Amino acid sequence: MNKYWQIFKISFAQEFAYRLNFIMWRVRNIMQIILVYFLWSSVFVDPSRQVFGYNREKILTYVFGILVLRAIVLSARVVDMAGEIANGEITNYLVKPISYFKYWASRDAASKLLNLSFAAVEVIVLYFIFRPQIFIQTDFLILVSTALSVGFAVVLFFCLLFLVNLVTFWMPENGWAAQFLFIAIITEFAPGGVFPLDIFPAAFQKVLYCLPFPYLLFFPLQVYLGKIGGLTLVGGLGMAGVWILILILAVKVVWLKGIKNYSAEGR
Amino acid sequence: MSKNAFLAVLTQRVGFGIFLLGKLLRFIFFFGFIFFLLKGTNRLAGYDLNQTLLFFLTFSLIDTLSQFFFREVYRFRPQVISGNFDLVLVKPVNALFRSLMGGADIIDLVTIPPLIFAVAYIGSLLHPGILHATYYILLVFNGLILATAFHIAVLALGIITLEVDHTIMIYRDLTNLARFPIDIYKGPAKGILTFLIPVGVMMAFPAKAALGLISFSGVVWSVALGVFALFLALRFWNFALKKYASASS
Repeated sequence: MNKYWQIFKISFAQEFAYRLNFIMWRVRNIMQIILVYFLWSSVFVDPSRQVFGYNREKILTYVFGILVLRAIVLSARVVDMAGEIANGEITNYLVKPISYFKYWASRDAASKLLNLSFAAVEVIVLYFIFRPQIFIQTDFLILVSTALSVGFAVVLFFCLLFLVNLVTFWMPENGWAAQFLFIAIITEFAPGGVFPLDIFPAAFQKVLYCLPFPYLLFFPLQVYLGKIGGLTLVGGLGMAGVWILILILAVKVVWLKGIKNYSAEGR
Repeated sequence: MSKNAFLAVLTQRVGFGIFLLGKLLRFIFFFGFIFFLLKGTNRLAGYDLNQTLLFFLTFSLIDTLSQFFFREVYRFRPQVISGNFDLVLVKPVNALFRSLMGGADIIDLVTIPPLIFAVAYIGSLLHPGILHATYYILLVFNGLILATAFHIAVLALGIITLEVDHTIMIYRDLTNLARFPIDIYKGPAKGILTFLIPVGVMMAFPAKAALGLISFSGVVWSVALGVFALFLALRFWNFALKKYASASS
């Protein structure tokens, strides 16, 4: 366990080595939130207006919640894995007494801690600039359910991203293209990171709920806002849990097949 | 040069297919979002569905055209870092032209014709007069001039600071703020986005002109701003070239 703690510490320090890189990433997150904030503010100019089951207070909480949740769930270092597979650097890890899975989990944890720290400051600064009405959830049971769904989301995203990176074993030159499709497109929209998914027709939402993506951002925020409870909440957590099991199994199977296919190109 | 760039992309057909799929999905997601949002709210910042779609499609058109023409900018940093930019400077081709437009993007070439068709179709539903349609086309060109100025400035900054990747992504994020009508922004944000960082003039003014919301003087002022921005960017490029140290060659 100590070695993973050391990896966590080194990875945390490494994030500061590429400060400009990190700051630009945070700036980009803020700009995206500013767009979404102004968009929804213009829709809910009248505070009493209700659209798609949201009022101004809840939709702005959703916007600010996205900023925090993106830092917790979507910030990850495992994106570098495709490069390591493509250029053969992964060989260095295969000969070491270390779990590659836990190695990246430790690095991801460091990235999440740093991103969360910055996101917390950004939320405070943006709050004092825009002075939005924010919905504060006080129900202890809902807060526990939110924390649980966020935990599920973190594991889900890690497994999904890990799986996408494993594609590089078969397509070393196109691993980044698969990542582009997954990170820049699918995780931007399907989890509700740009807009809440309940603006879509009910049938489309039902299809989405059968996929793992809504459980990354949309579901935890719905739980926090109190829009999901009772059996729906249990069913949602169950579905996320099932996806976690499926993805862990898929990661193990694909990893074993990938390693057999790996020929240490570039080494 | 563009032919070479096209052939290079086509050698990796899987990557080409994935990127094209990604761009299409992003477009469909945003299109669907605007459609369903406006179905629920009827208006966004005073604009109805077709008008909001015209803003989005105009943004997409200018964004895609500038990515198609200026893709080489995304490959500029390694040239400067490795010192390979020397090889561009000694060739009998304009170094700025080579760095700016030396590798057009075939993926965007595929998406441009349907986008132009979509703009023409949605635009026709709004029945603009010949004058306003002319303003629209003129301001789209002006948007491309502003985009050119931005990209030249990014290249110049790249020579001085060795940083291109993040600067270009920040530029992309800034322009993304004009994906929806610029009128959604309130207070200083609207002024900053329209005049200081002129993404409003670049992306939103053409659609506003088609809707009859920009006067002749507004069009003249916008074009003057585009020409001035291009002039400043060229001066900046010349200044940056003098600072190029050819350090790694």
